[in-house]
Amino acid sequence: MSGLQTTSVGSMPKPDYLLHARTKASKGDLDLKELRALEEKATTEWVRFQDEIGIDILVDGEQYRGDMATYFAENLEGMEVSGLVRSYGNRYYKKPIIVGELRRAGPISVDWYRYAQGLTEKPVKGMITGPYTMMDWSFDEHYGSREETAMAFAKLLHAEARDLEAAGAKIVQVDEPALATRSDELPLVVKAVGAVTKGLDAKTILHTCYGNYVDIYSYFNRLPVDQLDLEMSNSGLDLLDRFRKDPLRKEIAFGVVDVHSHVIETKAQVVERIEKALSLFDPQKLYIDPDCGLKTRTVDEAKAKLRVIVEATRSVKAEHGLD
Amino acid sequence: MVRTTVVGTYPRVGDTHDEQALRRAIARFDKGGVAEADVRAAEREVVEAVLGEQARAGIDVPTDGLVPWYDSQSHIARGLAGIEIDGLVRYFDTNTYYRQPVVRGAVEWKRPILAEEWTFAQAHSRAPVKAVLTGPVTLASLALDKHYAKRRALALAFADALAREARELVRAGAKHLQVDEPILTRHPEDLALVRDCLEPIAAEKGPAELTLFTYFGDVAKIYPDLLKSPADVIGLDLVQGERTWPRLLKTGTDKPLALGIVDARNTKAEEPAALAAKVRQLRHSVDLDRSYLSPSNGLEFLPRAKAREKLGILARTAKLLEAKR
Repeated sequence: MSGLQTTSVGSMPKPDYLLHARTKASKGDLDLKELRALEEKATTEWVRFQDEIGIDILVDGEQYRGDMATYFAENLEGMEVSGLVRSYGNRYYKKPIIVGELRRAGPISVDWYRYAQGLTEKPVKGMITGPYTMMDWSFDEHYGSREETAMAFAKLLHAEARDLEAAGAKIVQVDEPALATRSDELPLVVKAVGAVTKGLDAKTILHTCYGNYVDIYSYFNRLPVDQLDLEMSNSGLDLLDRFRKDPLRKEIAFGVVDVHSHVIETKAQVVERIEKALSLFDPQKLYIDPDCGLKTRTVDEAKAKLRVIVEATRSVKAEHGLD
Repeated sequence: MVRTTVVGTYPRVGDTHDEQALRRAIARFDKGGVAEADVRAAEREVVEAVLGEQARAGIDVPTDGLVPWYDSQSHIARGLAGIEIDGLVRYFDTNTYYRQPVVRGAVEWKRPILAEEWTFAQAHSRAPVKAVLTGPVTLASLALDKHYAKRRALALAFADALAREARELVRAGAKHLQVDEPILTRHPEDLALVRDCLEPIAAEKGPAELTLFTYFGDVAKIYPDLLKSPADVIGLDLVQGERTWPRLLKTGTDKPLALGIVDARNTKAEEPAALAAKVRQLRHSVDLDRSYLSPSNGLEFLPRAKAREKLGILARTAKLLEAKR
C-alpha cells in the first residue's frame, strides 16, 4: 500500500430527481418502492463516480437519509421525529425526540451497506451516527439523564456495528459531530463510543467536526477507535501546531476542502494543505478527504471538490514518490 | 403581578407551508431568483407572525424573535467596522452554528444595526418590544481576534460600539434593552469584565429598563456579585442552570429578575401548576411583582409548534401565580 489514500466523510448531495421524489413521498404522492428505486439509482451514481475518479475508500453517499440523527431515530423504537429546528443560516433539520425505552427492531443501515458494496471492488465504509451525538441531538422526554441516554444508544449501535461487520464491512465509521460540544462530557463520549466499538475486528473511525479542538485535544488519543477523521480546512488548520507538540497516535483522515463554501478549492490550495499534513503524519497513516459530509453542496460542487482532492493527492504522491 | 418575557430568539420556520415562506425566499435568493428586498419582506412577515404568537399567548414583553439575525454573533458584528465574517463554529453546547467574526482592525460603530428592525417590530406590537444585544464579552470570546491581542481591550471596544447602538435604540423609543452574556455560565471569572463592559451601555440606556441575561448554564458561584451588575434586571437560566436555584432560594435579592423556568432546550412540556409552585417558593426572597418569568434561553432551539406551547406554559404559570396570591 502506497499510503495517502483518499476517502469521503459520508453524505453526498441528493440529485434533483431524488429531492423531488422525497418531497412527493413525504406527501404520500409516491410509494416507498418507487422512492427506494430512485435512492438506489442515486447511490449507484455516487458509488460509480467515486470509483471512476479514483477515490480509494468509498461511502454510500447516504442518499436514503434525510439527516444523520433523524435517520437512525426513524428506525429505532422509542423515538419520534419533531418539527423543523434550525442548524445554521437557512439549514433546518427534524430533531429526534426520545419518547420511550429505546429498542432496535433489526439492522438499520446494513441493507444499504450491502447494496453499495455490491457495486464496487473497493471498500465501502459502514456508517453509524454515534451514541453521544444521537443523545445530544435528540430531545429527551423519557430518560432524564444524558449518560443513561447515551449508553442506551451505545448498546443498540454496537449491535448495528456487529451486523455491519457480519455483512462484510471492513471499516466502521462512528460519526460524532457533537463530540466537542461539552468538554466536561468527554469521559462519557469515550465510554459510549467504546461500548460501540468494543470487540469489533473492523477498522474503526471516529469522525467529528466544528468544535474547539484545542479544549478536547487531550482526549484525542483516548478515543477508542483506530482513526480520527477531522475537519481541518474550515478551522484554518489551527490544529497543526498542537499535533506538532503532542503527536496523534492514531491514523488521521485530514479534511482538505471546506464543505460549507460554494467556492471550489484550487489544486494548489489542496496540495498545500496535504503537504502540511504530510509534514506531520506518516503517509501510511494519513488519509485525505473533505472536512465533512458534502450534502450541503450542489451535486456539481461536491463532484468538483472530490475531483480536486483526488488530483491534488495524486500530484503530492508523485512528488513524494508514493505511487 | 409577575410579568412574562422571552429571552430573544424564536423559530423563524414552522412545519406548515405558510410558516416556511422565509426559508423558501432565502433559498430562492441564494440561487439568484429573488432580490434581497424580497427576503427582507419575508422576514418582516415572520416578525409580524412571531409577535402575533407572543401576543396571543399574553407575553408582556416580547421580542422580534431575532428573526432577521443569521446567528447570535455575526448579525451585530457584521455591522461594525474592523470585522470580517468567517467560517462556521459551534455555538456553545447547542447543535447550531454561528459564522465567526474575525477582528481585523479597530472595532467601531458605523451605523445603526438594530434600530430599524426594532422600529418595525414595535410598530406591529401593542406590548413593548425588547431589543436584544449580544453581550460584548460573549462577542469578544467567540470572535477570532487578529488585532487587539488582549480580550479585555476587544471586549471594551465592543462595549463602546454596543453602547452607541443602545443609544440609537433608546432614541428610536425602546423601553426594554437586554444584553446577553451566556459566556458567564462557562467563564464565571469574566464577571468583572462583564460588569466593566456593561457600564458604557448602562450610561446610554436612559429611561429604558436594562436586563443582563445569562443562559446555557448556572451562575451559582458568582450569584451575589452578578446582582451588583449595572443592570435593572438580571436574567437567569434556571433549567440548565438549576444549580443557581438553591442560591436564589437562600440568598434572594431586591433586584428584579427574569426567572428562566421554562425549558427552552427540550420539547417535554412542563406542568404550569408545578412551575407556579416552584416559583412561589421565592415569594419571600425575590420581588416577584417586579420580576419576570421567561424561558431558560431563546426558543429557537425548539420546533415552532413546541415554542408556541412553551409560551402558553409560561403565560399559564404566571396566571396561576397571580390567582393564588
